[in-house]
Amino acid sequence: MLSYYDIDDILLGEEPISVVFQIGANGVGLLDPGSETNNVEKSAKVDLPFWLAHELFLRQAVSINVPSCYSLKTRKEIQADAACVDLRFRSPYFYELGCKLLPLVADKSIGPFLRYTFTSRYKEILCKSHSITGATPKFSSKLTKEESLLLEAARSSMVAFKKWRVGGSRLEKASILGRKRKPTMPTQPSGP
Amino acid sequence: MNPIIKEDHLHLWLAKIKIICLKMFGRRASQLLRELASCEPGQLTAYNTDTFEQVIKECNEHNLQLQSLIRKIEDANLDIQTTRNEDHFGAVIHHLSLARNKRGLMSYMYNRAEIIQSLRWTIGPVLPLEIQEKLNYSEEEYYKNHSTAIEAYMSQLDLDLTVDMVPPKDPYIRVKVLDDIGEVCLGEHTISLTPQSLHFIKRVDAEPFILQGLMEEFLE
Repeated sequence: MLSYYDIDDILLGEEPISVVFQIGANGVGLLDPGSETNNVEKSAKVDLPFWLAHELFLRQAVSINVPSCYSLKTRKEIQADAACVDLRFRSPYFYELGCKLLPLVADKSIGPFLRYTFTSRYKEILCKSHSITGATPKFSSKLTKEESLLLEAARSSMVAFKKWRVGGSRLEKASILGRKRKPTMPTQPSGP
Repeated sequence: MNPIIKEDHLHLWLAKIKIICLKMFGRRASQLLRELASCEPGQLTAYNTDTFEQVIKECNEHNLQLQSLIRKIEDANLDIQTTRNEDHFGAVIHHLSLARNKRGLMSYMYNRAEIIQSLRWTIGPVLPLEIQEKLNYSEEEYYKNHSTAIEAYMSQLDLDLTVDMVPPKDPYIRVKVLDDIGEVCLGEHTISLTPQSLHFIKRVDAEPFILQGLMEEFLE
């Protein structure tokens, strides 16, 4: 699935990770807003996008702190009621980022935690997807990217199933040409 | 404290944050992809020439910085392969940023090209103006060449591959005309396709019109 061109994999790399530089770096002062020179000093604490943090960690130039979205506080909230937690706000790539971070940090309890979170939210998403009618429901704004895809898949297969049962036109206008059909004739004022 | 001054400060502060945000290495390229990801699957946004060129400019800057850091290491008579000092890690960060920007740009072009290819199968050889406006010059060329290649293949096979994408139940279909199409020659005879008229025609003939939104399947 993951490839060089994968948009989600690239955007996941933009998630901020707090790191501590183990060695300084010259000519990249932009990374550290608190730095007065054009350099990052040793043991400076900086927020880097994940793609950069990951590569520098492999070169032993930085150490990675576990992001706050996997903190004890979030874990307690998830334990209380997993479906109510706004995960998108914490990170739209909550699960993917967690999986990629796991080999890089000492705290190995992230793995089971992610699994628990996903399984407890999964049931809720599938149940709700069957009862959606029309507009996007409120709870979908709390879902991560992966969960929204899941919801959409469940919803569209439900729609396809209903359509198959009822029957109807299977040929449709190309979706790129616009959803709504322009009226070909001016609408007549309704007569008496 | 005067609330107006406070608000001014807030604006300045927000503007500053925004600049810092955009200045993070690789951030601009990801903006391009975010734009692409934010529209519904299969839909196109207008080609963002401005941001694309800014990312290329960023790449050139990274390259200059990288060169100067490497020169600095060489000038100090250090071995470029084994040195792990501050200059080395500066150079590494610039190099990684360069590769990251490249990946962003490549992904932007690749994912757009995928959509553009699919248009040939859904819309036909000629793109409507509102879609053409969204394409970059090289993308238009790509579309034309791709279209020509498919047509050459289809004429070799003597078969129109773009119809019957949904398996047909019946070779004929009842359709309602939505737009004024005019006189059309179908098979042996010509028929006049005026708006709101109903016809019973071959499915193969109707399919392109339905995809273009000029007709719809008529169901009781």
